[in-house]
Amino acid sequence: MSQGSVHIKDLVKTYTDDRGRPTFTAVKNINLDIDNGEFMVLVGPSGCGKTTTLRMVAGLEKISSGTISIGDRVVNDLEPKDRGIAMVFQNYALYPHMTIFNNMAFGLQLAKKKKDFIQETVTRTSQALGLNQMLDRKPQALSGGQRQRVALGRAIVRNPVVFLFDEPLSNLDAKMRVQMRSEISRLHGQLGSTMIYVTHDQVEAMTMGDRICVMKDGVIMQVADPLTLYRKPENLFVAGFIGSPPMNLLRGKVQKQSSGLVFTETGEQNAISIPIKGPLESLVSKYVDKPIVLGVRPEHITEESKNGSHVPLTSAVDIAEPMGSESLVYMKAGGGSFIAKIHGEKLFHQGQPLTVYVDTGKILLFDPETEAVIR
Amino acid sequence: MKPSHRLRLKKMLAHGFLLVALALVVLPFLMVLVTSLRKGNFPPNSLWLNPDQWSLEHWKYVLNIPYSEIVNPSTPPLHWLWNSVIVSALSSAGIILLSSTAAYAFARMRFKFRGHILQSLLILQMFPAVLALTAYYTILDSVGRHVEWLGLNTLPGLISIYLAGVSTNIWMIKGYFDTIPASMEESARIDGASPFQTFVRILLPVSAPIFAVVFILSFIYTMSEYPVASAVLGTPKTWTLAVGASSLLREHEKLWGHFAALAVLSGVPITVMFLLCQRFVIGGLTSGGIKE
Repeated sequence: MSQGSVHIKDLVKTYTDDRGRPTFTAVKNINLDIDNGEFMVLVGPSGCGKTTTLRMVAGLEKISSGTISIGDRVVNDLEPKDRGIAMVFQNYALYPHMTIFNNMAFGLQLAKKKKDFIQETVTRTSQALGLNQMLDRKPQALSGGQRQRVALGRAIVRNPVVFLFDEPLSNLDAKMRVQMRSEISRLHGQLGSTMIYVTHDQVEAMTMGDRICVMKDGVIMQVADPLTLYRKPENLFVAGFIGSPPMNLLRGKVQKQSSGLVFTETGEQNAISIPIKGPLESLVSKYVDKPIVLGVRPEHITEESKNGSHVPLTSAVDIAEPMGSESLVYMKAGGGSFIAKIHGEKLFHQGQPLTVYVDTGKILLFDPETEAVIR
Repeated sequence: MKPSHRLRLKKMLAHGFLLVALALVVLPFLMVLVTSLRKGNFPPNSLWLNPDQWSLEHWKYVLNIPYSEIVNPSTPPLHWLWNSVIVSALSSAGIILLSSTAAYAFARMRFKFRGHILQSLLILQMFPAVLALTAYYTILDSVGRHVEWLGLNTLPGLISIYLAGVSTNIWMIKGYFDTIPASMEESARIDGASPFQTFVRILLPVSAPIFAVVFILSFIYTMSEYPVASAVLGTPKTWTLAVGASSLLREHEKLWGHFAALAVLSGVPITVMFLLCQRFVIGGLTSGGIKE
C-alpha cells in the first residue's frame, strides 16, 4: 500500500507582492520522499520554510514550481478537501460559535454524509479522545489541551491518508505538551497513517519522528532517523541544532606536533588542545594548519576515563548547572566556554580547576567554509 | 492642604466636569421634549412649564389622533416615519451586504491594485456626499425616465444613493476581519467548505458585533440624513422624517411644537434598533476557537 506516501519534488515557494513581483523565496528547491505510514518531522528555526512546505502539501499555499504527489496522484492543483489530508493547526483553529460535536462533524456534514454515520463517527472518535462528555459545549468552555484534542478529533473523523500537524503543541503548557506528545505518537501507532509534523522544538522532533527533516533558510540540511542525526550530523547546523544541551563547536587549527596531530583552539586565553586519534587522523591530513571546527557533545566530555580513547582536559569551571543526578558544567575555553556533562550528585564553584575526559572516538570535525562534516 | 482634602477637591472637580458634560448632552433633548409638550408654537427656550402651558396637541398631530381630525392630509407625519424606517432599514441591510463582501475580498484575497483601491476608497470618503448632490439628481432624473421606480421622488432611488456610502464601512469591517486569524477559514477549507460557505458559516457568525455596529451607524445616518433626501424627494408623500420635519419650519409659520414632537418621535426607531443590535455587540465571540 502506498496511498499515503508523499513525494515532494523540486519544490519552490516564492512569495510575491500585490503586483506579482517576487519578494521572498521561502522554500528553495527541496526534494523529500515520505513513506506510507511514516511519521516525518520537519524541524528548523522559524523562517526555515517548514510550515510553508506543510501548507503547500495541505493545499493552503500555491506551489511556485515543482510537484507534490500524495500516493500516485500529483496534487498541485487539487483543492485541500480532495487531497485526502487533514490538518491540525498551532492555534487549534476551532469554530468558536459551534459546539464540539459540530466542530468535529462540520467536514462530514459538508461532504453530505448520512446523519447516522456522522453521529456514530463523531461519538466513537470523541470517546477515544475522552471528549464525549463535552460534545454540547463550545470551545470557549474547554481547556487548551481539550481544545487541541478537539482539533485532533476533527482531523481523525475525516479519515485522511495523511495527517498534517503545524506546531500543534506550541501553545500548550509544558506538562500538557508532554502528555499530548505521547497521545499523538499513540495515535500514529493505532491509525498507521502517514503523519507530517512541523515543529521548531528538537526534543519533539527526536521523540516523535520516525525520520526527521532538518531545514534552514528554505533548504533541507539533512533527512535521517533520530539516532543518525544525533550520531552523524552532516553539517555544522544539524550538529548544533540537534541535541540538548547543544554540541560544543570549537574553532581552531590542527597542527602537527611531536606527539602527533593536535587540535588547538583559537583564542588568547584558556585555549584548549585535544589530540586527534584513531580514524580521524587520516581524515584531517588535508586540513593541517588550516581552520577547522571540532565538535564534541557535552555527554562525551565526562569525569571518568573509561578506555584509551579518552584524553584528559583541564580547565576552570565557569558556571555549573546542577540537575540532580548530573551537572552541566560550563568550562572556560578560548572561544568562551564548552559544556561537560558530569554525572553524580556534585556541586561545583566558579573558578574551580577541573579535569574532564574527552571521548576522542566521538569527535566530529567540520570544514568551516563549507560547514560540512569531514569524513 | 492635607492629602485627603486634595483628593476631595480633585473628586469634586472631576464630578463638576462630568456634570457639565452630561448637561451638554441631556439639556437640549429635554428642551425639545418640553417644547413638544407646550401649548402653542414657541422655539425651545425653557425647561419649565406652568400647569396651564401643558398640552398634547403636537403629539396628537404627529400621531394622527384622533383619526377623524387629521389636521393636514398632505403632511402625514406617521407616513414620513414609516418612509424613514423603510429607507434606513433597507439601506443599512444593503450596506452590510455590499461592504462585508467587499471587506472579505480586501482582507483575505490578494489581487492587483488591492492597496491602491483601498486607499482611493478612503480618499473618496473624505468628500462629503453632498458635494455630489447635483450629480445624484441628474443621474436619478435620467434613470427615472427609463425605470420609473428607481428615479427621482422614489424611495428606491434614495436608497441606491445611500448604498454608495460604503467605503468607511468597508474599512471598518476589513479591520475586524483582519483580527480574525485566517487559520479558522483555512481549517474550514480543508473540511471542504467553499469560499462562500466559509464566509457564511464561519466568518459571518463570529463577525456579528461589527455588523451590528455598522448597521446601527448606517441606520442613524440614513434616519437623520437631510440634504440628499430633500433634493431627491420632491413630493410630501415620499418625504422621510427629516425632510418632513424641516417642512414644518416654514418661513412665516414656524411650527416649533410640531417639529419638536416629530424630532422626539424620530428617536424611537433608532432606540428600538439600537436595543435590538446591542445584543450582538459583545466581545469575545472568537475566543475559544483560537489560541492567541
